[in-house]
Amino acid sequence: MNEILVLCPFYIDAGLVSQATNFGSVRVLTEARNVNIAVKCGARWVHCMEGLSISDEAAFADFLADKIGEWKSKIILAPAEIKMRNIMPMLAWRLKAGLTADCTSLSMKDKSLVQVRPAFGNSLMATICSLSEIQMVTVRPGIFRERLQTNPNVEIIAEYYSGERERIKRLSFSKFIHGKPLSQAQIVVAGGLGVGSKEGFQKLSQLAKEIGAGLGASRMAVDAGFAPYSCQVGMTGVAVCPDLYIAVGISGAVQHLAGMSGSRTVIAINSDPKAPIFDYADYGIVGDWETSINNLLEELL
Amino acid sequence: MSLRLNISDEAALEAGLRLKAEDGIVTVLTMGPQKAESFLSELLALGVDEAVLISDEKMAGADTYATAKALNAAVRKLGPYDMILCGRRALDGETGQIPGRLASSLGWACVSNVEEVGIDNEGIVLHRRTEDGIEVLRCVPPLVVSVCEYSYKLRLPGIQAMRQAKKKQAKVLNASDLNLAAEECGLSGSLTRVTEMRAIFPGLRNCKKLSDCKELAMVIQAEIRGTGNE
Repeated sequence: MNEILVLCPFYIDAGLVSQATNFGSVRVLTEARNVNIAVKCGARWVHCMEGLSISDEAAFADFLADKIGEWKSKIILAPAEIKMRNIMPMLAWRLKAGLTADCTSLSMKDKSLVQVRPAFGNSLMATICSLSEIQMVTVRPGIFRERLQTNPNVEIIAEYYSGERERIKRLSFSKFIHGKPLSQAQIVVAGGLGVGSKEGFQKLSQLAKEIGAGLGASRMAVDAGFAPYSCQVGMTGVAVCPDLYIAVGISGAVQHLAGMSGSRTVIAINSDPKAPIFDYADYGIVGDWETSINNLLEELL
Repeated sequence: MSLRLNISDEAALEAGLRLKAEDGIVTVLTMGPQKAESFLSELLALGVDEAVLISDEKMAGADTYATAKALNAAVRKLGPYDMILCGRRALDGETGQIPGRLASSLGWACVSNVEEVGIDNEGIVLHRRTEDGIEVLRCVPPLVVSVCEYSYKLRLPGIQAMRQAKKKQAKVLNASDLNLAAEECGLSGSLTRVTEMRAIFPGLRNCKKLSDCKELAMVIQAEIRGTGNE
């Protein structure tokens, strides 16, 4: 039986833990507040870290390398959030392991993890295998669906990170004022260049608030200054797979599609009937976005 | 494909040049085909002190492990350095792995996704963006930093600097200059293998065009209630 290590010290991707159970017994390292999620997604061992504070991610990578030596893990997965995207390459060097970043699909063939990721601005999907004894990947957050299936033999083990080897000190942290991360939103309302202005995005955010959705944006809209970078959905932003994705004034560049094609239902509103987004949508409205949103708000209120 | 710096490398270079204005020298190091040499030489007009290209046919097809190994060898040969600035991702693969792998290979710390690089009398101060907010970190050299593409805009060269730079040239290093054996380089030195490339983008759906927003509102309400199509 394979053993899979899922590293989630900062952010737990419940879907990734669920997916890992398809490949073998799952060992999860996570913060105390996320232990329940690891348990209900089917972890066999949950290594629990209380009050984790990390400033020097290289020092934490060293800590992980020692732990992995003890656990003898051969397959290591992590969500591709910003901190783990920094830590996994350092860990991979320490473990002399191949690492594939930002996978969007994983499967197991014999003992080998088959890794699929977009490449070259998403015009290609590459299938990659590791040649090293240890196989490592980071996975786009939110790409796999969570499945509840508690393992009856689950064990919870306390771990302690002292941080004594840290060379970096955190002077301050200013937290962004936004709710749940976009990648975890069940509904996303996203705007593109077609929305035309910051004011336009305010209207979208009104709709989002009305239906309890997160606010997303295409890269073009972010580059134009209509919405902050934290809203960017796509290849160079966040990947989402909500139950419902409403694309407003988004033409549907492949880079954007890469970040939302896993959504369960997609609605597109665009004035251009030939916009590619309609090929990737379940429902479409051809017309002026603002009129549509105004009418929609009237219907919903 | 024309060769040039990608926008996050440009931002990293600008951050480096601004630090240099305070004190120090800036070396640009890249790895790629021989034809990258000419564009690398152009960077000398921006105030770069030394431009170095690692280039060898043996290195073709290198994954992030083999690439980091070559960069490590060059840094050891050319250094010592206090800080290595990288773009946070490349344009083709966007793996974002090189800063971390290189840092680890040198035994240095690594901070990713940095928007602002500053120096004060106590050391290096970095503003680092995460999903949740901005961290301000105090670091001591040596250190690898990866820089966000929107954080610095690369300067334009002055005319006089361009003339002077014409006299200077990029330095080229090959595998044997770096004491790397053929089996450590390129495809044969890599720990991952691409087994298939597909140009198909999945996710095509059958779009039902709705006539008005009444219908649309019904679809949305059904989704919110969780009775939409599974």
